[in-house]
Amino acid sequence: MTGFEQIIGINPWTALWTFCNMIITFLILKKFLFKPVKKMIDDRQKEIDDMYSDAEHSKAEAAKLQADYEAHLSSARAERDEIMADAVSRARKREQEIIADAKKDAAAIMTKAEADIAQERRKALNEVKNEITSISVSIAETVVEREISEADHERLVMDFIGKLGESDD
Amino acid sequence: MNGPKIYLQINGMNVITQTAVSSFVVMVLLCAAGIILGRNLKKRPGRMQVITEKGVTMIYSLVEETMGRHNAYWTPYIAALFLSSLGGSLIGMTGILRSTTSDISTTLTWALMTSFLVWGCTIKNSGFKTFLKGYINPMNIISDIAQPVSMGFRHFGNIMGGSVLTSLLYSALAAGSAMILGLIRSSGIAVIIVIAVLGGVAFFFGMRKKKLSLKILGIALALIAVSAALEYFGVFESVPILQLGLPGVLSLYFDVFSGGVQALVFSLLTMVYVGMACPPREEKKQ
Repeated sequence: MTGFEQIIGINPWTALWTFCNMIITFLILKKFLFKPVKKMIDDRQKEIDDMYSDAEHSKAEAAKLQADYEAHLSSARAERDEIMADAVSRARKREQEIIADAKKDAAAIMTKAEADIAQERRKALNEVKNEITSISVSIAETVVEREISEADHERLVMDFIGKLGESDD
Repeated sequence: MNGPKIYLQINGMNVITQTAVSSFVVMVLLCAAGIILGRNLKKRPGRMQVITEKGVTMIYSLVEETMGRHNAYWTPYIAALFLSSLGGSLIGMTGILRSTTSDISTTLTWALMTSFLVWGCTIKNSGFKTFLKGYINPMNIISDIAQPVSMGFRHFGNIMGGSVLTSLLYSALAAGSAMILGLIRSSGIAVIIVIAVLGGVAFFFGMRKKKLSLKILGIALALIAVSAALEYFGVFESVPILQLGLPGVLSLYFDVFSGGVQALVFSLLTMVYVGMACPPREEKKQ
């Protein structure tokens, strides 16, 4: 120490040292503090932004999926309803058909049965008529003891049966 | 109040002064702090990193507000300037080193750096011709000289004035305490005992009624009595008892507050001047 400087005096050496120190401080703070910290903050900000945009994206996708799913579901529901309605109507129709068929069959069977019955009856009647004819011919043969002509015979019998049928109906 | 000490003199030039040493110490401290704080940065920050990031973000937003977003790359320089200025003012409080900013060489150098930055930016952004055209009005030369001078002297004057006032206050308080203690000493031992008892009573009541002012008064009276007694019995020549306490409060203003304000003013002025020299790109095209 060789004394004191004046209170107000410009010392170029001090100025030079100050300048150098300032530059060094600036460079070191910039390189070691501001750049890394700023980069870190920006990186984090970017990461957060990315996360948010990802989340937005996923949300939109989920909403889209949900909408799709709901659309599918409602279409499936509509289809089901359609199928059901179709099936019901077809079943109704089939039912009607079956019933109609059954009625028709029944009616046919009935008609056939009636026709059969009528035929059977006629057949029986004819048989009875024939029986009666032969019986009455034999009775008449025995009663009158004579051969009447075949034509007379037939006529007589038919008359008789005609009367019989009249009284029968 | 002396100027900075001279540590090394070569051919009549004061190569290394106290200011240079303080400036070097400040630089080392700032760089060390910067390197330590800038190390081991993680995506999930710890406590220190949060504070560091907060500080860095604050300085960035201050610079962006003052100079515009396009000038954000000036932040490290502004921060270095601010921290050097603040550290340079505060380092005077150590008592060993002298504030770098109470040396006009320091502040004028910083102010000239700002001026050169402004001139450089003007030339870079508007061309050398426009820069020279600005001096058609000779008042601009005066304003360009006055700008660094005013900046440098403002900062220097504030810190220096604070130091001068503090040293004046110290000597005034020393004189005052010498006067009071001399008066008490010459009045005899009885007065000393009375003052001690008064101090004790005041402290006692202060304890009982829990009043800080009474406690402080009691301690002060007791201390005055003790130092008067020490002088009375010839242990010390003169005890500067009044220098206890009061200069600390004033130092809080002159060193901490004034140092902070001047650092802020200096860096704000730098930001404004450089910011005006570096307009946004859209404006430049017009």
